[in-house]
Amino acid sequence: MVSGLRASEMAAGLPLFGEQARAVAEARVQAAKSISIEDVSVSYAVGRGARRSVLENITLEIEEGEFVVLLGETGCGKSTLLRMLLGQERPTAGQISVAGSRVERVDARSGYVPQRYSLFPDRTVLDNLMMGPLTSKFHILGRLRPSFWETRRAVKAEAFRQLAHMGLQASDAGKYPYQLSGGMQQRVAIAQALMMKNRVLLMDEAFSALDPSTRSSLQRLLRSVWSEARPTVVFVTHNTAEALFLGTRLIVLARESKDDACGSRVTLDMKLAEGGMTLRSHGQQFLDLVEHVEAVSNSDRRTISDHCGGKSSLVEPVRVSAVDGETP
Amino acid sequence: MTNLSPFDIQARPNRLLAQAISCVLFVVCIGLYMHTSVARHRENAEDRVVPSGHQLVAGIRSAVLEPAEEDDYIPADNASTWERLRHSMIWKDTASSGGRFFISLALLIPFVVLAVHIGLFPWFGAGFLRFFLFFDKIVALSLLPILFIAFGIDQWSKIALIVIGVAPTMILDVTQMVKAVPQEQIVKAFTLDANNFDVAYRVVFRQVLPQVINSLRLNLKPMMLFLFAGEMIAASDGLAYRIAIMRRHMGMDVILPYVLWVALLLFLIDFSLRMINRRLHPWFQA
Repeated sequence: MVSGLRASEMAAGLPLFGEQARAVAEARVQAAKSISIEDVSVSYAVGRGARRSVLENITLEIEEGEFVVLLGETGCGKSTLLRMLLGQERPTAGQISVAGSRVERVDARSGYVPQRYSLFPDRTVLDNLMMGPLTSKFHILGRLRPSFWETRRAVKAEAFRQLAHMGLQASDAGKYPYQLSGGMQQRVAIAQALMMKNRVLLMDEAFSALDPSTRSSLQRLLRSVWSEARPTVVFVTHNTAEALFLGTRLIVLARESKDDACGSRVTLDMKLAEGGMTLRSHGQQFLDLVEHVEAVSNSDRRTISDHCGGKSSLVEPVRVSAVDGETP
Repeated sequence: MTNLSPFDIQARPNRLLAQAISCVLFVVCIGLYMHTSVARHRENAEDRVVPSGHQLVAGIRSAVLEPAEEDDYIPADNASTWERLRHSMIWKDTASSGGRFFISLALLIPFVVLAVHIGLFPWFGAGFLRFFLFFDKIVALSLLPILFIAFGIDQWSKIALIVIGVAPTMILDVTQMVKAVPQEQIVKAFTLDANNFDVAYRVVFRQVLPQVINSLRLNLKPMMLFLFAGEMIAASDGLAYRIAIMRRHMGMDVILPYVLWVALLLFLIDFSLRMINRRLHPWFQA
């Protein structure tokens, strides 16, 4: 693995042989595959030896710069999968790698935007934005170093730039989260994650609690942020129209049986050329796709294999070319 | 606008009326006291159970300007009021009790820190939580004889009593506050490259601090209660010691001002903590 290599050798470009060379090659492949989920299953004990399966044999490779939307009805395990990508939960079986190394605990390799409590209530907007970069550069005693103030000035300037980028006023910098609307809070939360310049951004129902108009403007904002920096985004939602507008790849998780022993599986893995699909821009094609995706995510058992052990017939790459359009 | 009955949930008195209403019970209490005092003094002019206004003023004067009986200090005839106050009975007792009270308060800080760890770090929780859940059920006053044996009858036994009496409750309280911090905040902090120390003190502790101060405010009275229990049983100075001594002499003219003085002190500490909380944590008021 990359972590096991001597960084100095890699940096100096020294020739590597045998195990090291294989590890470097593997690391390059892993880096291109921003996220790798290998045969992951999750189940919980529900008393007296019984277990409830949440996810079953999930295998996914997510390429660098993809905008993946995880779609599925409530309780299908999409947030569980996201928590595992974060390192907050561990799979019962299988393994997950993010940015080339295995996920063991929550760390700074991924940015995170949850649905609620996305900002620290005791800090102003500016402090929320500056927290990540300052914490990563200066732990508690490091703040006594003279370079701290210089770095702080640079971070502050970057925070104001991000604030403007998110459509917020400089005067909002001194406000506390409770003084902001839900939409403004999520804008700051996105900016906070972007301040860390992570290549992976994980978003859990980030816009679910917002009103339709705010939601729509935030969707457009997220699309434009993604288009500029092209981070790998994994976005969890249960809204099909939102998924088709945002994602370049749509993954539907659904439970094939109501049996506790049967967890959710990937029932649809679909690539959209550049995402941005809306009813207005794609008309009937959009409606057909929504119907198709919702049938799959609602576990329409006419189209999904009957027993959970079998292969699902709907795991297929459907390619739809799409252009940027208006928000659904 | 319809006039709502005062017993209607939706009826709101205006600001002035609300303030007037809040004074009513104070006025009633003072009125009842005065009435009883006058009635008792009519029967016995020397009555000391319900002292008259004059007796109370004399009692306050002796408490505030005269030294305690057990003190050898005799103020000079030309001693200033400040000099008399510095050597007065109430000053001496307040300093003794206050010292014990604030040392106990300081000793509670490590327990608050421990509680943050119990609530946040599962290994700490596994080690300490059940112990404190059990310890919280021990009646602290039942430990007083043990504390007198272990620490002697000077101030450390009283301080230990306050800490033992209040710390378990505070630990459990703060642990619950820490557990109530949304998991999203902790995960978010780690994704912002925070380490365990940062998460514990720069994210969680900062967020629960206003609640910890509120919990402390609620514990002020139990703290004073434990202090009084200790001082009344064995002490050579202190507010409760003085009240216990005065009870023997039926000195209600001193006891009553002392009781009100203790209430005022607690009110002022509570008010200061409330103001500090409001000033330091404006976000918490929302």
